[in-house]
Amino acid sequence: MSQRVAIIDGLRTPIAKASGKLKDLRADLLGAHIVKEVVLRTGIDFDMYDEVIIGNVGQPSDAVNIARVIALRAGFSDKTSAYTVHRNCASGMESITTAASKILSGHGEIYLAGGAESMSNLPLLFTKGMSDIIEAMLRSKSLIDKIKTLSRFTPSYLKPIVGLMQGLTDPLSGLIMGSTAEILAQDFGISRAEQDYFALASHQKAERAQKEGIFAQEIAPIVYDAKNGLIMSDDDGIRYAQSIEALTRLKPFFDKRNGTVTAGNSAQISDAAAAVVLMSESKAKEMGLTPLGYLREYAYAGLEPARMGLGPAYSTAKILEMTKMKMSDFELIELNEAFASQVLANMAAFESKKYAQTHLGRDEALGAIDTNILNVNGGGIALGHPVGMTGTRLVIHTLKELRRRNKNVGLATLCIGGGQGASLILEVE
Amino acid sequence: MSAFSLHVENKIATLLFDMPNSSVNLLSISVMRELEAKLDELKNRKDIDIMLFKSAKEGVFIAGADISEIESLTDEQTSHDVVRNGQIILSKIRVLPFYTVAVINGACLGGGFELALNCDYRIATQNPKTKIGLPEVNLGVLPGFGGTQNLKHLIGKQKALELILGAKLINGLKAQKLKMVDSCVPEGYLEFKLESFIKAILDDKERAKIDATRYKMNLLERFAPSLIYKFALKEVMKKTKGRYPAPLEVIELFKKTEKIPLNEALSLEAYAFARLCVSNVSKNLISIFFASERLKHDTFVEKEVLPLDVHDISVIGSGVMGGGIVWLFSKIDKAVRLKGRSYDSIAESFKSISKFYDDVLKRGRITKREVELKIGHISYTDKYNGFNNIDLVVEAVVENIETKKDVYKDLESVVNEKCIIASNTSSLSISMLAEGMKKPERFIGMHFFNPVPRMPLVEVIAGEKTSNQTIATVVKLARDAGKTAILVGDCAGFLVNRILITYINESVRMFREGASILLIDETIEEFGMPMGPFSLADEVGLDVGYKVSKVLEEAYGERMKVAPILEEVINMKLIGKKNKKGFYTYSGKEKEINKEVTAIQPRSRAYSKPEIIDRAMMIMINEAARALEENIVKDASQLDMAMIMGTGFPPFRGGLLKYADSLGIEKVYISLVGLEEKYGKRFEPCELIVNMAANNEAFYKG
Repeated sequence: MSQRVAIIDGLRTPIAKASGKLKDLRADLLGAHIVKEVVLRTGIDFDMYDEVIIGNVGQPSDAVNIARVIALRAGFSDKTSAYTVHRNCASGMESITTAASKILSGHGEIYLAGGAESMSNLPLLFTKGMSDIIEAMLRSKSLIDKIKTLSRFTPSYLKPIVGLMQGLTDPLSGLIMGSTAEILAQDFGISRAEQDYFALASHQKAERAQKEGIFAQEIAPIVYDAKNGLIMSDDDGIRYAQSIEALTRLKPFFDKRNGTVTAGNSAQISDAAAAVVLMSESKAKEMGLTPLGYLREYAYAGLEPARMGLGPAYSTAKILEMTKMKMSDFELIELNEAFASQVLANMAAFESKKYAQTHLGRDEALGAIDTNILNVNGGGIALGHPVGMTGTRLVIHTLKELRRRNKNVGLATLCIGGGQGASLILEVE
Repeated sequence: MSAFSLHVENKIATLLFDMPNSSVNLLSISVMRELEAKLDELKNRKDIDIMLFKSAKEGVFIAGADISEIESLTDEQTSHDVVRNGQIILSKIRVLPFYTVAVINGACLGGGFELALNCDYRIATQNPKTKIGLPEVNLGVLPGFGGTQNLKHLIGKQKALELILGAKLINGLKAQKLKMVDSCVPEGYLEFKLESFIKAILDDKERAKIDATRYKMNLLERFAPSLIYKFALKEVMKKTKGRYPAPLEVIELFKKTEKIPLNEALSLEAYAFARLCVSNVSKNLISIFFASERLKHDTFVEKEVLPLDVHDISVIGSGVMGGGIVWLFSKIDKAVRLKGRSYDSIAESFKSISKFYDDVLKRGRITKREVELKIGHISYTDKYNGFNNIDLVVEAVVENIETKKDVYKDLESVVNEKCIIASNTSSLSISMLAEGMKKPERFIGMHFFNPVPRMPLVEVIAGEKTSNQTIATVVKLARDAGKTAILVGDCAGFLVNRILITYINESVRMFREGASILLIDETIEEFGMPMGPFSLADEVGLDVGYKVSKVLEEAYGERMKVAPILEEVINMKLIGKKNKKGFYTYSGKEKEINKEVTAIQPRSRAYSKPEIIDRAMMIMINEAARALEENIVKDASQLDMAMIMGTGFPPFRGGLLKYADSLGIEKVYISLVGLEEKYGKRFEPCELIVNMAANNEAFYKG
């Protein structure tokens, strides 16, 4: 990037376990709530924004360009344009980097970017056979036609396709995300126990952070049941006093016989939304604003879909090359926890010279990830991973944590279903 | 200049109604005379196949009769003759030797619709301004230009009654569904749709198709109309308790005209109209109508002062009033930011907000989609953040000067220069609250009544330093929200509570002296108040009422002294409906006299109803006169509007001071003097009443 882009402020809703507290709020309602709150608290008038860009994975059929629906619900006027971006698990980062590019290319000055996801509201789908019949019925004119059409029916057509499962499956390799995590565990020889201990640490760190009110600094509470006067203020996925015993008891979810990946050492399925305000550094100065922090650089990279979990290694290799920085330059690292095995595999890959040479086209290893600065307040395993939203959350959280620690440079990176990685270098002053 | 112009082209005539020097078309006596001349001239025209009645006014077909003419009718015979003549004129449309069509693109009310009813065909538009109906009962009369009969024959007895008794105004599509019009088209298509409609009427086969869509009498209407009338009567009695004669006359007229020829029926309609027209109830309702029209245009400041635009509103306080105000502004699509003391209290107020929306949903006035959108206008916070672009704040925290002043201090540090700060205080002085503010000119009182969705009044209170622009802005905002805004002076209790509290206090004293709670409530309800004083006190909350009473006692001294027995009741921890125990006890929908309260009544004695009404009303009239004397409100008519909108004072009585006028001020004076002798100085007639009685004046002049 030719210049840094300022992130003025950011907020998120609490993250709720799917089919839980936020299940009745569709993604557009979650998004609208947080976008409105960010705009109001930042204090920049709605009409000063050039555009609204929202990342979302499970694009709802009743709000296909969900960004526009969110913008109008939030209070933007009709004349503010808005569009939705999709880069699977990095959609909430894509919205930010797209906005940054537009700012730097002079297409606009002030952007609202974010991510919204209601995994509770992903639909059940008809099988292809069933939808063919329904369509044919609508076209059949005579009774005989209709009977003929119906005769094609078999009961197996009634078994719905779970949109969530389909969405989490890579169509090229045919692997569901959990299975790609199993492959990484095998590649790097990561034991079940290692994964469970990693998961335990995630809960413990998140529990401490929640009790210290760290998450409250980035959360805007949300009324989720107006009729009964119910409001949600805190993430509800964190298990207080999580134990290794409890984690050990869980059965492998994806490979029932030999697997090591369980529901306990994977990210939770959740609902949430997050948003940030972006503008050029000079615009922020001109308006007399003190940005929360800056986006210094970003990079996306691709790899084989079956090993999508190693995306961070690829994208980070790229960003280090671009910036001539070293891993040791980072004072804080957020590496999204899709699966414990996936984070552990990245840690191994980052410090492996051999992996760098065979996969990343580098002579030297990327550099070890210092566990003392990695996911210091837990990650997706404890908090949940509302796919389209997580990217935005990582950016907000990294910046706020850098500020709390009085540090300057952080790396936020995540793996992307379908075989990609995203890395963002974030700075505060 | 003539109101009607005729234009004929290709045997199609257009009679264009364009009342000179008026933004609307009215069927005044002189217009009717002109119309008659036109119709007489037209009846010999052989060169016309069809004639269209059209209006040249934007958004209005015909708004009805001239209400001031109805108001001036005081003699029954004259009233009869006026409408009878109107019937005859309009019926001349029917005998024209060609087809007639009313082209209804805009308001078509009362006499306007009665004119349309005399045409052969009616076509309406989907223009949102197109509203059709016979709302005469709202003014205490009934449709007198043949409307009751012609509508009955067009759409059936049941539907006609519903429309007339409910004074319902119907949009074009609904009117078509009810068969009040033959066609309803989008306004933008009117020209060519009208062309094909004309063609159809002039073609025998096509015309027959239109005629076939008309209403046909069903079995119920044919054989058991008495059932319809019985049901209608029950509904009317439930709603009006028989206080309003017009709906009763309508039903009676329908009954009497069941089996007689049209001409006789029309004559009965004219007589019924005449009886109603000269009644006090009608005169009172018309007076209120005009008062409310005047109020709508009264900005209370110089015309040059323009209100500020208000789009973003903040409400401070998540209590009952805060919730109601948030609901109101979100409903009119303002962006509302609720600042509560905690997120839990905010969640609590969402309960009432969502209940208010449910109520509107149940009445079918709104869709679920719209509700979701409107609730989405509400944001919330427990801190003073997100206030940069707020245009107006309504503070609705507890009635405590220090608490409120703390809020203003916080607010002044977060809102922008232009932001108006309004207090929903019900009893604290605005000038006093403004002390210490950096910009007192932007501070004002905006007093909503509880429950906000149901109570139409907003008292606007200017402090000593409040700017005119602040007043204009708040008045406009209240009106945009569908409320009646009245500017009142900055005295303790402002206008409505100041007057109302005297009568509640007096009722409590009567109870202390031995009158039964039930008898007092019953008597007052029979008088026409929507609720007796004890039921009202329970509803508001005895704690809240007591607090306000104390403030008033402090301000006005002896005459507002809180009845000591009320303190006893408060000390017994009875606070009303909120904890199910007040003067009454509440369980589910059941309500009974609270025996704990009757137990502390020292004695009981028989009271007569006139005695109760005399004491309750005289004390209010005296206080109202004082408020007028002190210029707390502009005039008697605004005071009466405030009492009607703020307390439900019975509209058929025209308001508190109108009621005083109807008694005669001399009689009021004598009553007060008598009561003073018996019960003490609080009944001492104020100077205004003394002078008015001496000079034989009334509150309403002319």
